[in-house]
Amino acid sequence: MSEILAVRDVVKVFGSVRAVDGVSFTVRGGTITGLLGRNGAGKTTTIRMITGIFMPDSGTIQWGGGAGADFRDRVGYLPEERGLYKQMKVVEHLLFLAEIKGRKPADVRPQIARWLERFELTDKRDAKVEELSKGNQQKVQLIGTLLHDPELIVLDEPQSGLDPVNMILVRDLLLDLKKEGRTILLSTHMMGEAEKMADDIVLIHRGKVVLQGALEEVREVAGRNTLQLDFEGDGNFLGQLEQVEKANLANNTAELTLSEGADVQAILGAAIGRLRIRRFELGTPSLEKIFIDKVGAETLEEVMQ
Amino acid sequence: MNKLIAVFKREYIQAVRKKMFIVMTVLLPLLMSGIIVLPGLMVSQGLGEKHIAVLDATGKLSDAYIEKKDSENPAAKVGSDMKIDYVDRSGDTALEQSAKPYLARFSDKSRLLDGVLLVPADAVANADARMKYYSRSATDFIVEEKLSSMTNQAVHRIRLAARGVNPNEIDRLMSTLHIDAIQLSKTGQQRKGGTANFIIGFVLTALLFIPSFVYGLEIMRGIIQEKTDRVVEVLVSSMTPAQLLVGKILGVAAVGLTQIGVWCLMAAGVVTFAGAALTFGGTNVTQFLRPSMFVYFTIFFLLGYLNFVCVYAIGGAVCNSDKEAQQLIMPITMPMMLPWFLLGGLITNPDSKLAVAFSLAPIFAPMTMFMRTLVADPPMWHIVTAILVSIATILVLFWITAKIFRVGILSYGKRPTIPELWRWVKVA
Repeated sequence: MSEILAVRDVVKVFGSVRAVDGVSFTVRGGTITGLLGRNGAGKTTTIRMITGIFMPDSGTIQWGGGAGADFRDRVGYLPEERGLYKQMKVVEHLLFLAEIKGRKPADVRPQIARWLERFELTDKRDAKVEELSKGNQQKVQLIGTLLHDPELIVLDEPQSGLDPVNMILVRDLLLDLKKEGRTILLSTHMMGEAEKMADDIVLIHRGKVVLQGALEEVREVAGRNTLQLDFEGDGNFLGQLEQVEKANLANNTAELTLSEGADVQAILGAAIGRLRIRRFELGTPSLEKIFIDKVGAETLEEVMQ
Repeated sequence: MNKLIAVFKREYIQAVRKKMFIVMTVLLPLLMSGIIVLPGLMVSQGLGEKHIAVLDATGKLSDAYIEKKDSENPAAKVGSDMKIDYVDRSGDTALEQSAKPYLARFSDKSRLLDGVLLVPADAVANADARMKYYSRSATDFIVEEKLSSMTNQAVHRIRLAARGVNPNEIDRLMSTLHIDAIQLSKTGQQRKGGTANFIIGFVLTALLFIPSFVYGLEIMRGIIQEKTDRVVEVLVSSMTPAQLLVGKILGVAAVGLTQIGVWCLMAAGVVTFAGAALTFGGTNVTQFLRPSMFVYFTIFFLLGYLNFVCVYAIGGAVCNSDKEAQQLIMPITMPMMLPWFLLGGLITNPDSKLAVAFSLAPIFAPMTMFMRTLVADPPMWHIVTAILVSIATILVLFWITAKIFRVGILSYGKRPTIPELWRWVKVA
């Protein structure tokens, strides 16, 4: 698939901090790319350079496809902290957001009606933004991001602060948008969500890319040595088993990292003897695990010191 | 360009819809015309009567305190009416003693006195004699002035009569001449001047200045609001900061022009329908309203407005919260208000070196030069220079503002220091 965006060796320095330090990645058309990292890793700064808010100190940001229109008009941007004029009415505000992206009000009116319908906001069209609930304000902002049919939709932590229902709503929407053939760049620190949506991932740590590629490949490279277990009973002994290098235990589930050439049958046998097994799956590690392996250990050491 | 227009439209519509706009547009002229009308009202209605007792030890001044209505001199009418109790104490040498029961009435609600005047027995004969005036309020100098003039006129009459001057002659000798103040412009055009001109100059300069100040603060608050609401991130991802800034400033300027438009209509309406009633101290106010005034008002209003708005936009770009802005408002505003503080002095001396200097100086020019065109007749090159200086100031301020805006608008951290600001200007 064609590249929509290519970020090459981009650097941004604030004072003595190298917030983004030589980041390169590409975004393929029609996919969801997850920009992952801890808080303060440099995700937002990278995004702000893509959206033209900051100029990179060095490096380039290239737009694929037809040049021409202002690149700012080709992006739909949902900032991490939502920003709307509180005094404006919903429709007015949406028209304004479309106009500053170079659209004519008359052209977007029908679209606004469609989007409000889809988000069940039609009855709120003449309400002031400040009268809406927080969730509805986010929906309005999201509509504002999509109204001008952007080539690339850039979303900075679109699910932070949402309840589980709204989280699913946003996730489904993004997957729908992908089905419609749109391209999405999504920054998040929620690995579970990224796993459910992203085709490609770019993992940033301290301003540098530490891992990138198609999600499946990334997991494949990490190896088929992860055992997922759902069970009833006390699973604490799992970590002590031979051939288990590491165990991630939570309520009635466990993710075990096996040593090379481990005998999976033996482990299953040991587990069956002491637990009621509901699920047993050998496969690639979860994104969360890969993430922790890549950036967690180093950070933990720091915390210890 | 379309984006700029979108910002312009939004700023304009949102501002015009605000209560602030309606209040400013309707209330400010009312307030200002109040300043013109109130003194007149005070004259016609009076501020209440003052009750005075005059203890006359000469025994000859009983006629002096019948107040003559002086319709010619408006200044004589400002102040309160007096009710005077004349007490003949002829030959009383212990006047202070005799005054005691009267002074006691200062605190007696049923027989309240506001002042007591003592005229000594030698008032006519002795050129160095002094009267004494006791008063409940220390600030009642108008009453004191009137009493003094009444008594002195009577004393002069008696002195003249003692020299054998015919009483009819005395009236003619003592008649007061009034001044008609006329301002003669270089073109030889005459117009009536004086107090009314002063007040009109003051009011119109206030109308020029107050909106600039108020909307300057509005734009500052608007920018800070955009920062705290994080709208600005959406804005600058859609357009350049310069586009945003120009759109905003023009939007606010259009709001100002709308305001002037409404005021002009209001003024035209008032002049048409109630022009004759608009008097101040017996002088019709409408004769001061010349077409050139409206032209100058519009020009200097816009210039002053843009000056202020640029300065406050910088303020908005460097602040992160209303609290920070509060601290910044005073140091920004005070220097810009300098001509306002000096206005009284500048209006009465519109051609003084100081007034000329102010009227040609950046930032101060629009307000001071407008005032000069109102009350004096400054040479055309002064006016043109003031306009050019103001335009240059606006361009420089705009250039600085755009640069600071670009960096400052996204900085959520500490407020920058002056050296940091300078770096922003150089870097951006």
